[in-house]
Amino acid sequence: MPSSHPSSDLILHRLSSSDYEIKLKAIREIKNQIIGNRTKKLSYIKLGAVPSVADALATANSDSDFGSNLIVQSAAVLGSFACGVDQGVRAVLDAGAFPHLIRFLSAADEKVVDAAARSLRMIYQSKLAPKFDFYKEQNMDFLLSLLRSENENLTGLGAGVIIHSCETSDEQNILCQAGSLEKLISGLDGSINQRDASLESLATILKNNPEAVSKFAELQNGRALRSVIELTKDRYSRTRLLACLCLICIKNSSSCHLQDIGIKTKLIYILLELLDDSSQVGEEASFAFSSLVSGKEDLQKLAFEANAIDKFYNHLQNCALHPKRLEGIFLALAELCSKLECCRSKFISLQVLNLLISALTHDEANVRTAACKCLKSVSRSIKNLSAGYFMNERIVIPLVRLLSDLSTSVQVAALGAISNIVVDFTPDKSTFIQCGGIKELVQLTKSMDSSLRLNAVWSLRNMVFLADRMCKEAIFMELTVSSVASLICDSEPSVQEQALGLVCNFVDGCMDCVEFAFAEDGIILDAVGRQLWKFSKMEIGIQGMYVLSNIASGNEFHKEAIMQLLFPQAENGSHSLLSQYLQSNDSRLRTSAAWVIVNLTVPASPGAFDRVVKLRNFGIVSQIKRMISDSCMDVKLRARLAFGQINSFGDS
Amino acid sequence: MPVRVALENITTPSHVSGANSRRNSFQSCTLLTVGQAFSGTQNVSSLQKDEAWRVNVRIQGCDLEHGYLCGTMEALNVPMADTPVVTFWEGEIVDTKNYTFFTGKWEAAPEDDIRHWTKFQSFGPLLSQVEVDGGKSVDLSNYPYIFMRWKEQYFVNVGTDCGLTIAGFYYVCFSCTDGSISGFYYDPNSSPFQKLELKATNDGRSGFSFSSYELQ
Repeated sequence: MPSSHPSSDLILHRLSSSDYEIKLKAIREIKNQIIGNRTKKLSYIKLGAVPSVADALATANSDSDFGSNLIVQSAAVLGSFACGVDQGVRAVLDAGAFPHLIRFLSAADEKVVDAAARSLRMIYQSKLAPKFDFYKEQNMDFLLSLLRSENENLTGLGAGVIIHSCETSDEQNILCQAGSLEKLISGLDGSINQRDASLESLATILKNNPEAVSKFAELQNGRALRSVIELTKDRYSRTRLLACLCLICIKNSSSCHLQDIGIKTKLIYILLELLDDSSQVGEEASFAFSSLVSGKEDLQKLAFEANAIDKFYNHLQNCALHPKRLEGIFLALAELCSKLECCRSKFISLQVLNLLISALTHDEANVRTAACKCLKSVSRSIKNLSAGYFMNERIVIPLVRLLSDLSTSVQVAALGAISNIVVDFTPDKSTFIQCGGIKELVQLTKSMDSSLRLNAVWSLRNMVFLADRMCKEAIFMELTVSSVASLICDSEPSVQEQALGLVCNFVDGCMDCVEFAFAEDGIILDAVGRQLWKFSKMEIGIQGMYVLSNIASGNEFHKEAIMQLLFPQAENGSHSLLSQYLQSNDSRLRTSAAWVIVNLTVPASPGAFDRVVKLRNFGIVSQIKRMISDSCMDVKLRARLAFGQINSFGDS
Repeated sequence: MPVRVALENITTPSHVSGANSRRNSFQSCTLLTVGQAFSGTQNVSSLQKDEAWRVNVRIQGCDLEHGYLCGTMEALNVPMADTPVVTFWEGEIVDTKNYTFFTGKWEAAPEDDIRHWTKFQSFGPLLSQVEVDGGKSVDLSNYPYIFMRWKEQYFVNVGTDCGLTIAGFYYVCFSCTDGSISGFYYDPNSSPFQKLELKATNDGRSGFSFSSYELQ
């Protein structure tokens, strides 16, 4: 005969009973109701059930049969509350159950130990679990005793602690030195749970740690590494994924391992196959794939040959994809298309772009970010940019909207894509201007967030590259002279560099464009001059010098302004800015300085003779003469050109 | 720059970068960087008549590590076209690491390569070694000339039915000293040795100006 559950209130009342029998029954009832039921868990947490269960756990005596039973049931209920629900973890920790669970790990009754270990494993799956301190010797002894144990629940807990708490290379090294690798390797031959937990903890210890990787690779004469490779063929998809992740950590930490093309190809094929898995494994496979091919041209090529782009495209065509899967696939495609033109061509030919455009307006911020990152990679192709594939309303309008997204990472990712797309090599940027793109970019140059500021200035700099005078005017008006000047002096060197690149592009082109630098009493040029005296990054000096060089290729007034900036009247020439730049160890800086002199001494310009006299008096001519035999060919050729021009006026 | 279609069978080989990830010591030349523009002529004379088209070139991309260069070429007074015809080209820089003097594709045998390269005076000192191994052992890192092959990939502003072909490619020699460019168009189906001559332009300025972008 069917019977209904007693009400929650009644159960809670029974929980506080002094009668062990009634209490135990209530705990069992809760266990049955909350297992796998998030709503019930939340409801009981709200009703305050967790402290009562924790109290039952704390006060039970593990030496009696009845007490043991109560502990086993209470621990199971607490573990269940903590499983997959952060509020549950918080409630269990707040109720003070954690130290008691740890205490019961050393109980005589194996059932108690098992229940406590299982419960603690649930807690350690959450980020809210307390950080384990590997630096304390007694803690390490405790951890090693867990890993050494014959009890699968205890070894699993040990692995869980490592996965949860090992974050720094120091912690990884402590674990290595204490012999945890050896202990974890023995878990590779155990049950599925043990294998998976061992693989995941091994990956945690080996991640970005070449020292740990070397140690692991040498263990048992390489047998440990071979065991992990073997597990990539396991019948369980989760084990295959974890084995791949472990190998990816090894490969990414140290370039001398897993160089064999066979294993690289194998990893690619396994991960692509795992994409078909409908569980969480399929979701995680694309993230693992990204990590495998990230920044590695050879692996991207192999993945291309394995038809990875087709495979991801096929998955994308499934409209009902979970957001996490969509995010993973777009990130994987972003990595794949980050370096190789063949990948980008394939991406374009399969028309993945249409699916990407839809993802730009997805509800989930992570998906929008991933789609922008993917677009950034695909638009790294000059061939595709020049063909005008991206500068159209279908792409530009949603992208510009993302500039005002509530999530900063979406904004930064959108700026990354925009900064590439605006390099379309056409002087007319009306598509972008008409949808309000300039206004949004200019707004973001004023952001308090330096990454937004940097990327916004970067986008404007790329946009002004080869733009026509009208487009430059529109941007300049929106940006304002004072803003340009303050961006040149921004607190972030990378912003300064992009701002100088922007000015360089403003004053390039027709002769009239040089006037941009002289607007509002030349505050932009003053800012450039100030930055050239105190730059903190070589690229800033180089970029600043090219601003001066471009201005010096203007008319007489422009050239004289540069002379004035380089040689203020009272100054001693030998310590001049130009003199220092010409002597720099960086050939790029010497080249940029030499171009300034070339432009100042163009023989056809009326004031060239006077400038040559000044340059000679300041000792610059003799410096240029020496540079004719510079070790850098570019410097040598510019010095030769400048010296030839100077000599055309004789030795005056 | 496109030339007139001579045969029906047009082939457009796809770009194969052939690049590897080795770093090379090939020195950059500021006159061969993005944004730089060049103008001049291409002589397209045939037995029937003398003809030269005005040509503008703009560098759009440069990746010395991979020996890659690309840009656009605009032919201004093409008799069959109503507007200037713009093509996008990709270049292989002969840096002896990513690319040698031997083309190895585009219907160019080593003899065709030598025949064209020797048309450049600056190639003279390199000839004997190039004949041996395509120039693999030549050190070009400090040579004041840069040798390249430019291959047009697609028409930017007209359709493929415009009656012009981009089947061939250019052997190019760039002078690092003044930015002048000489080139010879090679297409077994077109008039041989059509000469391209370009000079660096400065937009009417009194000196050299530079602009740049950075892809993310």
